[in-house]
Amino acid sequence: MVTSLASRLLEALGPDTVRNSREDLAVYAFDAYSEGQLPSVAVIPRDVREAALAVRIAFECGVPVVPRGAGSGLCGGAIPAQGGLVMSMVRMNRILELDVRNRRARVQPGLINLDLSRAIATHGIFYAPDPSSQKVSTIGGNVGTNAGGPHCLSYGTTTNHVLGVEYVDGQGVIHHTSLDDSGYDLTGLLVGSEGTLGLVTAVDVRLMALPESVRVGLAAFPDVESASEAVSAIIAAGIVPTALEIMDKLITSAVEAHYHAGFPLDAGAVLLVEIAGPRDDMAAGEAAIARIAQSHGALSWRSSADAAEREALWASRKGASGALGRIAPNYYIQDACVPRTKLPAVMHEIDRIARAYDLQVGNVFHAGDGNLHPLLCFDRRDEHAVRAVVEAGTEILATCIAMGGTISGEHGIGYEKRDSLSLVFGADDLAAMGRVRNVFDPRQLFNPDKIFPTGAVCGEVRAAAIA
Amino acid sequence: MTVKVAPRIVTPANAAETAATLAACARDRAAVVTIGGSTLQTLGNAPRRCDVALHTSALHGIRDYDPRDMTAGIEAGTTLAEIARVLAEHGQWIPFDAPLPERATVGGTLAAGWAGPRRAVYGRPRDLVIGSTIALADGTLARAGGMVVKNVTGYDMSKLYVGSLGTLGVIVRANFKTLPRPPVRRLAIAPVADDLRERTIAAIGGLAIEPAAALVIDGYPRIARYPGATLRLVLLFEGTEAVVERGTRDVRSALGRAGVAETLLHDGAEAEALFGEIVDAYIDAHGERTLTYRTTGLPSLAWSRARTGEAVARENGLHAESIADLRTGDTILRFSARTGATFAARLAALDAGVRGAFEHATVLAGGETVRGSIDAWGPEPSTIATMRAIKAHFDPAGILSPGRYVGAI
Repeated sequence: MVTSLASRLLEALGPDTVRNSREDLAVYAFDAYSEGQLPSVAVIPRDVREAALAVRIAFECGVPVVPRGAGSGLCGGAIPAQGGLVMSMVRMNRILELDVRNRRARVQPGLINLDLSRAIATHGIFYAPDPSSQKVSTIGGNVGTNAGGPHCLSYGTTTNHVLGVEYVDGQGVIHHTSLDDSGYDLTGLLVGSEGTLGLVTAVDVRLMALPESVRVGLAAFPDVESASEAVSAIIAAGIVPTALEIMDKLITSAVEAHYHAGFPLDAGAVLLVEIAGPRDDMAAGEAAIARIAQSHGALSWRSSADAAEREALWASRKGASGALGRIAPNYYIQDACVPRTKLPAVMHEIDRIARAYDLQVGNVFHAGDGNLHPLLCFDRRDEHAVRAVVEAGTEILATCIAMGGTISGEHGIGYEKRDSLSLVFGADDLAAMGRVRNVFDPRQLFNPDKIFPTGAVCGEVRAAAIA
Repeated sequence: MTVKVAPRIVTPANAAETAATLAACARDRAAVVTIGGSTLQTLGNAPRRCDVALHTSALHGIRDYDPRDMTAGIEAGTTLAEIARVLAEHGQWIPFDAPLPERATVGGTLAAGWAGPRRAVYGRPRDLVIGSTIALADGTLARAGGMVVKNVTGYDMSKLYVGSLGTLGVIVRANFKTLPRPPVRRLAIAPVADDLRERTIAAIGGLAIEPAAALVIDGYPRIARYPGATLRLVLLFEGTEAVVERGTRDVRSALGRAGVAETLLHDGAEAEALFGEIVDAYIDAHGERTLTYRTTGLPSLAWSRARTGEAVARENGLHAESIADLRTGDTILRFSARTGATFAARLAALDAGVRGAFEHATVLAGGETVRGSIDAWGPEPSTIATMRAIKAHFDPAGILSPGRYVGAI
């Protein structure tokens, strides 16, 4: 069957679009998650017509289709868990339409996130969702995981910036959804569905006006807990900065060694605060935040109105997990999200768990959203450490859930966390999702073995199909 | 002629009872229509059948609200006004922007998919929902999302339920992220002379301080009054004192340059009340002699859609009033005649005219008979087959507001 799939695809689309040599396929076995699986064929379509044709052929052969953007996803969302066809969207990377006046654009899914904002900056507009991976990750991948980023504190996540999508179903039929359409919000369902409902081939995005002025403040704190308390106090004061990010000492030192952005190295934690908006609000907003930081034990406060300095700070923040390579050969990053007031308690618990397992943990996180990214450092060659990371990770997740949180704020469930999904949802909750899966993809050939827990869900999905 | 039987009224005490009610109705093949504050019952088509009217009034209360978390879990039957009052005590709000907030419930507002003028700044209610619980026709309660502001754990099911108009289940609770309430609010109303229409609208296009709402109102004499003016420009500014002051200054000078007469300003509670009246007018109907559509599309075309609406009215010997939303692209069109009989005679031609002129137009309000004579939704979206399949999977017995939705769902 696989041979006939490859030969049918080659015949229909040619060898430049269809790859099936072992060395070509190796690159599609992995994303930024640790496990991988070799696909039987990779398709790199140039346009929606080629993509739709490939999907149709794969489904006719009963072979799974796994959409792939940059492969920067952290949870195995792009790995072909059951083999099959990997659809790499990198060639579909154009801005198809730009409507500056109405602040919207239609883009192809392979367009790199940052390339969009760079291309339109001269018009005074930007695309708000800015995951740390934005230099490489694609809009299509961002749609798949409903990606966030530091600035979604005030701007919202990807789903708040998608006005409609074009997608291909299992028959190879092209559909278009729009928030302007009457009827069910299919756009809202497709965003965050991790490629399990169809293949997204174009995205209508909402763009925003660049703020008139931007300031970034940097506060140093003795520890992560006090920085977290300050975050809660800033939010409670009715101030919603565009970003509120915390890095602990381990991360700050790794980042500073690499980027030299001027982070204080003696602090237990640093808090990055960005405010943006009309220039009239800047001075008062900044003063209020500085006051709150100081009253919560800040050791220092530095403010930056200079664009270059600001960009250096953000580049360091977004490069934080990469810089961690200086500390340990491997790290495992988590993505739990908790109510903001639980931050100090959760940070305290993470510290306790790390000590109990004798692990080095770095913390760099979207504090304003309560979205944590503990990075558990280890060496893959040390079996004992690998086991400790897995157990500590499970304990951290359980702690976050017990405090009213959830297992993923922005990275998605993918392959990695699918069995953890039943920690937050019961059978009835998952069955409702299973119904949607059955509507869009009854044969479960779009990105199988993702999101839904192993075993249990098949039954639930089937039960929902029968109901 | 069909004989109407009054539906049985059921008021479940809690979420579990709501789910049990739906299961019982599914077993008996009894059609259920969900009732919140009855402010938006004019949306969509009249259900083909209604054996049970399920009222959400006993599902009441703000359950989990910690102002420091800026999240709130709210039961479906809670009114928007009550939510506003409780959140205001903590300097917060959820900008629903829906009509008649003293009666409108949060469940109804979400089910209707309501999105008002300020969504350009604050997002639609759908964007502020972070979790939900829905009672389904099989008697189960399904949760989605949670109480955190960022969450990608499985499908974003809340988005499916918002706007589904009671055809998939009954939303029993929704969790929201709350926002800080803007400390200062100002409503500016300027008259728009016929010969200055385009210049006036262009003048506000390039404002550095973008208003929270920018509407051009034609007709609707009871709202946003300006002595002697039929056509008015209405701008709502929200934010800090400094920003609202600058916004006002900039608008006055931009409109002055365009030759527009003096702008009237209203502040604080007065501005809020006047703006509330405008939103109420979206669904304001006069018996059987008016019909209101909402057309959607590009913001840059909102005003030209208002003029197209005027032309459609003229061709049919009717009168048109409009609210063109320059920020969201919504244009509200209210068509009317002097008498119900005249309106009834011209209704079919009017609806055909509206369908021909606009890609997206849905009925918002009108008399019961008037609405009963036309389809509220217009042409089916291209994804209708998928929508029908969703309906069939969630409500296989077809008991939830049958016929009310798009494509007779």
